[in-house]
Amino acid sequence: MLLRASGQHTGDEYDLTAILGSRDNKIPDAALLSAYADAFYAEDPGTLEKARKALHDSVGDAALVDAAGIVGVYDAVVRIADATGTPLEDYKVEISGGLRDELGINDFPAARAE
Amino acid sequence: MNAIVDYSAAPVPVRGDLVLAHQDAWKRLASAGTWWDGETRVAIAAETRAARDCALCRARKDALSPTAVQGAHEHASELPAALIEVVHRIATDQSRLTRAFFETALNEGISDCEYVETVGVIATVLAVDGFTKALGLPPFALPAPVAGEPARQRPTGAKIDHAWVPRVAPEDVTETEANLYEGLGGANIHRALSLVPDEVIGFFHSIDAAQYLPDAALRDFGTEYRDLSHAQIEFLAARVSAINQCVY
Repeated sequence: MLLRASGQHTGDEYDLTAILGSRDNKIPDAALLSAYADAFYAEDPGTLEKARKALHDSVGDAALVDAAGIVGVYDAVVRIADATGTPLEDYKVEISGGLRDELGINDFPAARAE
Repeated sequence: MNAIVDYSAAPVPVRGDLVLAHQDAWKRLASAGTWWDGETRVAIAAETRAARDCALCRARKDALSPTAVQGAHEHASELPAALIEVVHRIATDQSRLTRAFFETALNEGISDCEYVETVGVIATVLAVDGFTKALGLPPFALPAPVAGEPARQRPTGAKIDHAWVPRVAPEDVTETEANLYEGLGGANIHRALSLVPDEVIGFFHSIDAAQYLPDAALRDFGTEYRDLSHAQIEFLAARVSAINQCVY
C-alpha cells in the first residue's frame, strides 16, 4: 500500500502486479530489483552474484546497500508477522481488499491460517 | 568468520548507521534478554542458521503439509527439542504457521514471552545475515554469550486482541516501557513483539530503521532518504513479502 501511496504522490500509476514477478513497471530498475530479490532465495549462489552485479551496475554503491538492507530486513519482518499471527490493520484490509484479491494475496497460506 | 561486526572489507561502502545497528544487534544477541540468557539467545541464533541446512525442514517445506513429515531436526545446540522446532519452523516455513503451532509451543513449556523473544532473536539474526548475504559477504561469527540474568519483566498492559500473542497497545504503555513506540506509529507489525519491549526497540528502533526506513520517513514522499526512491524501496519490500507469501 505504501507503494501505491508513493505513486499517488508522484502521479505515477504503478502496475502492482509486478510485485508478483512481472518484469514491466514504471518504477526505475524494477526488473533488476525484482531479480535481486528472487536471486536472494535461489539455491545457486551464482544467481545472486549475477543479480547483484546487474543491479550494482545500474544503481551504484549506495543504492545497492539500500537494496541489501531491505531484502535482509524484510526476510525478517515477514517472520515476525507470520510467527505472531499479526493481522493487517482493519483499515488496510478495507482499502486494499480488491487489490489483494486481484494479486492473489488472499490465497497465500498465511491469509487462511488460524 | 569474524565475530566482530566490521564492514571494512565490504565490496561497497556501508552506511555508518547500518554498521552501528548491526554492532548493537550482535551486542544484544550476546547479552541476557528479558526472558532468555545470553547463552540461550546465541543458541537460538545458531539454530536459526542451522535450519537453512536442516534436512527435515527441507522435506517439510517441500511437503503439501509440514505436519506430514516426521523426524528430528539437524540441530546446532542443546536447546530443548520444542524450542528447536519453533526456531526451525519460523526460520524456514513461516507462511504456513498457524495458531495451533503457537499453542503447541505453549503446551510444550515455552511461555508466550519466551516465544516472542525467540521471534525477536530469529528476526535479528536473519536481518543481519540477510544483509551480508545480499551484499555477497560471509556471515559474521555469532558472538560469545555474555553472563547475566534475564530481567523477566512482563508489560502489565499486554493483552490478547487480534494476534496469537498478547500485545501492548500504544494506549496501554506504562512508564516501565515508556519508549516502546518512540518514533514508531504503533502499527500491528510494531506491536507484534511488544510483549517483550526490548525486542521492539532492538529490531524496529534500530535494525529496521537502518535497513528499511525510520517510521517517520515512510510516508514522507516529498523527501528521499535513501539512494533508492520510496517507490523502489516499497517495490522491493513488497516483492520480498510476496516471495515469502506474507499477507501483512
